[in-house]
Amino acid sequence: MTKAVRSKFWHSDGRRLSGLSTLLLLLPFFAVIAFVFIYPIAQLLLISFLEPHPTLDNYARVVDNPVHARVLMRTLWTAALVTALSAVLGFPVAHYMSRTKGALAALVAVCVILPLWSSVLVRTAAWSFLLQRNGLINSALMALGLTSQPFKLLYTQSAVVIAMTHVLLPFMILPIYGALRSIPNDYARAAAVLGATRLRTFLEVILPLSLPGVVSGSLLVFLTALGFFITPALLGSPQEMMISTLVSKQIREILDWPFAAALVGVLTVFVTLLAIVFSKTLRFDRLMGSAS
Amino acid sequence: MGNEIFVKAASTTPATAGASIRISRLEKRFGPVFAVDGVDLDIAAGEFIALLGPSGSGKTTILMSVAGFEFPTSGTIQVDSEDLTYVPSNRRNLGMVFQNYTLFPHMSILDNVAFPLKMRGLPKAERHARAEAALATVRLGGYGNRRPNELSGGQQQRVALARAIVYQPRVLLMDEPLSALDKNLREDMQLEIKRLHAELGITVIFVTHDQSEALTMADRIAVLKDGKIKQIGPARELYERPANLFTASFIGEMNFVDVTVESVGDVVSVGLPWGETWQLPATAAVDGVKAGEAAVMAVRPERLRLGAGAAGQIVNVTLSDIVYAGSAMLLIGRLPDGTEMRARIPGESQLSSLAPGDVASFTVPAAAILLYQGKR
Repeated sequence: MTKAVRSKFWHSDGRRLSGLSTLLLLLPFFAVIAFVFIYPIAQLLLISFLEPHPTLDNYARVVDNPVHARVLMRTLWTAALVTALSAVLGFPVAHYMSRTKGALAALVAVCVILPLWSSVLVRTAAWSFLLQRNGLINSALMALGLTSQPFKLLYTQSAVVIAMTHVLLPFMILPIYGALRSIPNDYARAAAVLGATRLRTFLEVILPLSLPGVVSGSLLVFLTALGFFITPALLGSPQEMMISTLVSKQIREILDWPFAAALVGVLTVFVTLLAIVFSKTLRFDRLMGSAS
Repeated sequence: MGNEIFVKAASTTPATAGASIRISRLEKRFGPVFAVDGVDLDIAAGEFIALLGPSGSGKTTILMSVAGFEFPTSGTIQVDSEDLTYVPSNRRNLGMVFQNYTLFPHMSILDNVAFPLKMRGLPKAERHARAEAALATVRLGGYGNRRPNELSGGQQQRVALARAIVYQPRVLLMDEPLSALDKNLREDMQLEIKRLHAELGITVIFVTHDQSEALTMADRIAVLKDGKIKQIGPARELYERPANLFTASFIGEMNFVDVTVESVGDVVSVGLPWGETWQLPATAAVDGVKAGEAAVMAVRPERLRLGAGAAGQIVNVTLSDIVYAGSAMLLIGRLPDGTEMRARIPGESQLSSLAPGDVASFTVPAAAILLYQGKR
């Protein structure tokens, strides 16, 4: 038996870090979070309640003005649509990735991950080239004789949804891929030998077991989409603002900080509620109980 | 479409019917490597066959080919003279138990067991009733509402067993089903599986690398190496008269001594490395040893008798270790030429006086000696 190292920095068994060391190691992270995230958000929320004087008027304006309420609803709807689209488009890719090995798998993985390394601005700009009046899509449609007039594609809500889906797709694919990879091969084999066709195996076994991945992917995409700024700002219609563009306008053009802060407050409430609902109602840890 | 056929097969086949299996010239290549290299195996209806071998011997590949997870490079697999070689798994109607239970974690125990019946289109009430009955067969009645992760490893494997027999398949495939369990549980499960096999009359192919498991459970054991069957036979035959050096060294403990064959006739006389010549009965030669060639003499440690007796050869062993091993004492030492020799001697009366460094005499009964061609 080796003698346990006794020190403030180690647990008494000598193998684990003590509570104190754990705290010290985590401190820098929490300090940064507190400084760059919690403090500014708290300040903003304070402004929304306290300026110009202690009041709930700023929030009343969000709800009372139908334009603002519509912006909020549009934002939620767009985020939901983007989430649904990326789930539908991303699942097959993740499924393919989880079942393929070798060079082809690496190629697909690179195709999924590479866009993450390029700026959102670049990817959004690329879409505006594709979607503009004399862009690639319109010229192709006209060359094929499918239309004589170019469609209005750019500066529409559809352009926003398409580009956001493209930008956020990796955040859907990667968690689903992770969930699918953690399902042992033997489950599919067991289902097959028990008489399940490939489709039944997928529907009854693989899909339910990959749901935790779908849920975390959806949460990531939905929450990110709610606060998306560059893509709606560059590709969207000025008549169909999203909440982030509205906030930006309030701050930069109208200089109405209290109202912008109230908008952020409403968004924060939605995000928090959503996170709570997901973690309380869906016990996915239980679902995955013995899938080791 | 196909499913209706199985429902019919499942409900009209009596519970006592196992299928015969014929594997002919089975070959599976992965690139230049032969995982299975020309295996022929005839399994009688209701027989319990163990495929035993070290890892990489091809035993699992054979099982995967029977299950339909691997398609062989050549050869055929017939079940009740129906060619299943290239039939997909889900249309083979075989039962299978995996090493890691593979219960679906998102389903209750009852839904797990009812799963194959659901795939066969049985109505809910009937499949639940039959799943309950199958759970009762493995003594887990009343566990239906639990989740797989609420059960112990042994219970999970019994559920897997119930799920594999609930649709009354004619063949049950088992891929190292007990290797994830601890020793006591493993022995319980061995008995449980034996009992089920006797009750259902189902044909069982059981893959294992644990020889004692194979010896205690199977009617016949196929010993595999490098994709080939080295020997197939009942446990007793495999243990008492292994057909070749590989089986002799793979099954149980064995002492080997390199010898030279001097003459072959009514008796075989062999020259031992320390100069003695022994006359052995002709039956000792398992494969055709020839005069003037090298051979290997093999003796099981438990066949040696301490002290110089009448019927047999005498060897002197310089002891190096004396190990108390419960039911027997294990004596380890060296023959005059330095070859290691082990003896397992039950009882302890004469042993207390022995110490490492002593020279002990052992009697090797003539009937205990086996002779193989070649060298160790």
